[in-house]
Amino acid sequence: MTAEVLAPHEPTPADPSRRRRGPLNPLARYMLVRVALIIPMLWVLVTMVFLLMRVIGDPVTAAQGGRLNAEQIAERKHAAGLDRPMLTQYWEYITGLLHGDFGTTLTDHRQISGIITEYGAATLELSFWALIVAFGIGIPLGRLAARYRDRLPDVILRLFAILIYAAPVFFVGLLLKLAFTPFGWPSSGRASTQTELTLDNVHPHTNIMIVDALLWGDPKIILEVLQHAVLPATALGLLTGGVFLRLVRINLLQTLRMDYVTAARARGVSERRVVRKHAFRNALVPVVTVMGMQIALLLAGAVLTETTFEWKGIGYELTQYLKARDFLAVQGIVTAIAVIVCVASLLIDAIVALVDPRVRF
Amino acid sequence: MPTRRLSLSRAVPAVVRQSHGLQRFMLLLGFAIIAAFVIIAIFAPLLAPYGFNDDRSGGVLFGTQQAPSADHWFGTTVGGTDVLSRVIYGTRTALEVIILAVVLSSLVGVPLGLLSGYLGGWLDRVLVLIMDALYAFPSLLLAIVVSIVLTGGASGAVGGILAAAISITVVFVPQYYRVIRSATLAVKVEPYVDSARVVGVRTPRILGRHIFSNVAQNLPVIGTLNASEAILTLAGLGFLGFGIEPSAAAEWGFDLNKALPDASNGIWWTSIFPGSAIVLIVLGVTLVGESLNDILNPLLRTRGAETTSADEKEITAEFEELTGDIEPSVEVRDTETSEKRVAALSLSDLAVTFRTDAGQIHAVNGISFDVAPGEVVAVVGESGSGKSVSSRAVLGLLPSTAAVTGSARLGDRELLGMSNSDIRPIRGDQVSMVFQEPSTALNPVYSVGWQIIEGIQAHRDISKKDARKRAIELLDLVGMPDPEHRVDYYPHQLSGGQKQRVVIAMAIACDPDVIIADEPTTALDVTVQAAILELLLSLRDRLGTAIVLITHNMGVVADMADRVVVMYRGNIVEQAPAGQLFAQPKHPYTRALLDAVPHLGRENGPGLVDENELVLKVEDLVVEFPGGLGQPAFRAVDHVSLEIRKGEVLGLVGESGSGKSTIGRTTVGLQQPTSGTIHVSGNQVSGLSDRQLRPLRSRFGFVFQDPASSLNPRMSIGQCVAEPLHVQTEMTQSEIDAKVRSLLDSVELGGSYVGRFPHELSGGQRQRVSLARALALDPDLLIADEPTSALDVSVQARVLELFTELQQRLQFACLFISHDLAVVDTLANRVAVMQNGALVEIGPREQVLGNPQEDYTKRLIAAVPVPDPEEQRRRREARGHLLTDIS
Repeated sequence: MTAEVLAPHEPTPADPSRRRRGPLNPLARYMLVRVALIIPMLWVLVTMVFLLMRVIGDPVTAAQGGRLNAEQIAERKHAAGLDRPMLTQYWEYITGLLHGDFGTTLTDHRQISGIITEYGAATLELSFWALIVAFGIGIPLGRLAARYRDRLPDVILRLFAILIYAAPVFFVGLLLKLAFTPFGWPSSGRASTQTELTLDNVHPHTNIMIVDALLWGDPKIILEVLQHAVLPATALGLLTGGVFLRLVRINLLQTLRMDYVTAARARGVSERRVVRKHAFRNALVPVVTVMGMQIALLLAGAVLTETTFEWKGIGYELTQYLKARDFLAVQGIVTAIAVIVCVASLLIDAIVALVDPRVRF
Repeated sequence: MPTRRLSLSRAVPAVVRQSHGLQRFMLLLGFAIIAAFVIIAIFAPLLAPYGFNDDRSGGVLFGTQQAPSADHWFGTTVGGTDVLSRVIYGTRTALEVIILAVVLSSLVGVPLGLLSGYLGGWLDRVLVLIMDALYAFPSLLLAIVVSIVLTGGASGAVGGILAAAISITVVFVPQYYRVIRSATLAVKVEPYVDSARVVGVRTPRILGRHIFSNVAQNLPVIGTLNASEAILTLAGLGFLGFGIEPSAAAEWGFDLNKALPDASNGIWWTSIFPGSAIVLIVLGVTLVGESLNDILNPLLRTRGAETTSADEKEITAEFEELTGDIEPSVEVRDTETSEKRVAALSLSDLAVTFRTDAGQIHAVNGISFDVAPGEVVAVVGESGSGKSVSSRAVLGLLPSTAAVTGSARLGDRELLGMSNSDIRPIRGDQVSMVFQEPSTALNPVYSVGWQIIEGIQAHRDISKKDARKRAIELLDLVGMPDPEHRVDYYPHQLSGGQKQRVVIAMAIACDPDVIIADEPTTALDVTVQAAILELLLSLRDRLGTAIVLITHNMGVVADMADRVVVMYRGNIVEQAPAGQLFAQPKHPYTRALLDAVPHLGRENGPGLVDENELVLKVEDLVVEFPGGLGQPAFRAVDHVSLEIRKGEVLGLVGESGSGKSTIGRTTVGLQQPTSGTIHVSGNQVSGLSDRQLRPLRSRFGFVFQDPASSLNPRMSIGQCVAEPLHVQTEMTQSEIDAKVRSLLDSVELGGSYVGRFPHELSGGQRQRVSLARALALDPDLLIADEPTSALDVSVQARVLELFTELQQRLQFACLFISHDLAVVDTLANRVAVMQNGALVEIGPREQVLGNPQEDYTKRLIAAVPVPDPEEQRRRREARGHLLTDIS
């Protein structure tokens, strides 16, 4: 065997610049694929909502039945365009959605897009506060539990997580109300009526109470708004925080067993840094992914929390319209929620891509 | 299915047995809570003092919102009913809804998930879309809408409960679907499913027998999660006023809704009691689900049970057969080596014990050896010999379940018993490690440069900029092409060999005195292995580092080692200079081990069998896999033609990704060819549908690589071997039983194995069962895809011997796929070499392996280290330094 038979300079098998060359950078390509996948899903959701609402029967009879005679009902149906063929209505509904038109309520003739922007802001605010509580609980406590696996802190924290998962959000809300009302802590609404009236004068009016309060600039009002948010945010935040806690714990335990963690220890990286930089960062990838799925849970929880604390958000409005059997309103609001869920999951995908280079490149 | 019922009835105690400590407490507490609620629900009429809707007793009104009293322990509601009675009756409603919801959603979700995962195609895509849409949607809203659709609002008891259950079902079907579908996707690519398909098992049987039985272990966990969410959703429905009509049944959520205004008025009893009931029942169910998940999740099990003791027993059996009664702990030590040396690292009497769920395991029993600067000491041994454990013990990298005694001295410092903060500065600075699997030893979310810099900055107080410069230097030193750019690459952007170079760069970053390399080339192809070994040697020469090389590969030992330490079951049996050990092994185990290693170029495989009739004829075969979005198809097999005659073994060799396995899979119809034809015994098998192929399937058998997954874990050995007979023949049960016994006899497994399950067998035994199954139908053609590469060398020798004997006796044609040229050299008549999907060279064994014509074959053969230090040194000199460029 002579030396020259061994062909020199084999090409390196995996040269990424050669392997994945495209017109777009990989992140943009990835996000485009995600968007492309969201579209059919949105279409399925929207169609499902439309069909469900038609199965119930005709919305006018459901909402006004008993109060109006047959002739008046027919007249109203005609006015709302509900006597036309199903396909025509579906087409109108879909094209309307493409223009951002979610329809009009039947009972009080309001634009649903208006309802969404007005009350959606309240729900957004509640979710924001709740997420702060959830992160504040879930991430540090999850890390703590993983660190003391199977020891006392872990046992207590796991029981705590299971307990807050087991407690329905509205029951936690009720307990908070029972506990704090006697001390005069505000436990219903987003602010006192007077404050709400004051803040209506803020320009630009965002309807996100804390932003309005900050724009108004009165510290007393800001404090009041914050006080009102504490109990609902805690109730909703505990629910999501429990999920985060368990997720962080279990993923951290799994990444702590990975070879690269041992490898980092073997090159003399300090234990604190191993946990923070290697185990925790990698554990975040699945945690963020699952968080995307938690958006639905958060919104469902928001409906219940809003009812418990009379927080006039989109969930609160939705239950009012459901009770009034206004299915056009329900259809519009539910569709809007579906859109919000899809957009949010898209955002989560983007965050995952930022955390995990395997997705990015 | 009687077997399944049996395993279910055994499942609960088994789970309890597997649990321990807190887990067991949580599990039992959960079961106790659930049992209490079930009893309350069944005996509700006896336990409740009043009816759930009664607001008076004997004509006397209870009064509204009365505080708890002797008559009404839990007080009365705003509607004037007894809270205690409503809570008790509410248990019934809750349990009815849970049971209905769990049963209904598993009945719908499980079959859908199975079908969708197994069949794939458009059905799968549509279902995934719909289920994802349902899943993404806030479940409570969906339940409300569905319940309104179903009932038009409120309804009676039966209708109401059914409606609630159905609305909850709609919400939870996607969860079952998703879990079962992904489990199915994972299981369906397992070799045991492939091997069922190879013998022509029909889809329904595959789904039931092979897939469902293995997927079903997920059901208890999602079932309990589903149950707890069902209660919460039901309560949520009630709380919003869309659940069961309150006069028809007691429901906790509805009661909480009514109690909402009370909360602001200090009336606590109307909400606390029903709310606590919800919390308790969900708690019970969740405790069970959570602990089941913990116990069943293999990722969270305590280590120690990982090396199946059956494997170790097998090696022991081989050992005893070969060596007689010699105590393994008697060490044969060469006198010359005990001369005074200055050791860089010296172990004495090192012992490691693991505490596991199954008791104490003695992994290492007091071993002593040392390594001098500039010396390479190889530690060799088979599975369970304790070679890796001892090296990790040195750096304190074992899990906390390990207890280490003895001494490990680095120069004059004792490493054992050092605190974490004392040993940290030593790790990576004075003693560093190279790991077996470079793709898992590198953190995927950081660039390789970042990780090298991290190691440098852990020990040296230098700026980021200087550290980066050093990282580039190091990458250059380990032969990484274009280090200025590669320093910013993420691990997944590099090839396996390049990743291992990065790991080595990290190991030498701080000029350590000792490098411990734990199977550094086991995960790599042979040409890459040669280059990496070359690199390690050159680093040793340049830096004077002491290297402890842990390996199972005798060729690598012969190539690298100055001295060799042979380990067996936690003991050192022999240590000697490399040349001496290979020339005159003293200990019987060493001799047996060396005898078992096939030696490329010295094997006497069979000659040609030219006159027999053709069995396999592959003509111009092309196999392509569709590329991703906007990417071209990947051509795995590129215009390959080959043939095999009766009684002939064709060894198909090549490195990973060369397409050799794809040829095997295409031959048996597990993969459709893109073009080209395949004939087996004169019948065309390519391009046939499953149905057309089924009668032909008895003509070929298949043995898969991984003994751990080539047999269905839920089927007994007898059932595994009998399956082809059931599917393909009309034999009666007693005929089948007799045939199974004779088959097991022929692979030297007695009749006692018929009733055992795969996990009770060792790797070598499982491969023998696979062989028996593949031969059950007396096939004309056997395809063996790396049948011994997961086995230890002494076990491999035994299986290969058995294989050769059966092949000679039964005269089947065999396509023997392997990456190991030496193994092929022992048994093939002819050899075919593949590279990048194309056939490079094909011909008689002596010619291809002894006098190769093609450059690639020459390179491949030059890269194989042979287990003889003298010969290997000549080979190394002959091939020069050119393999270094391969990564």
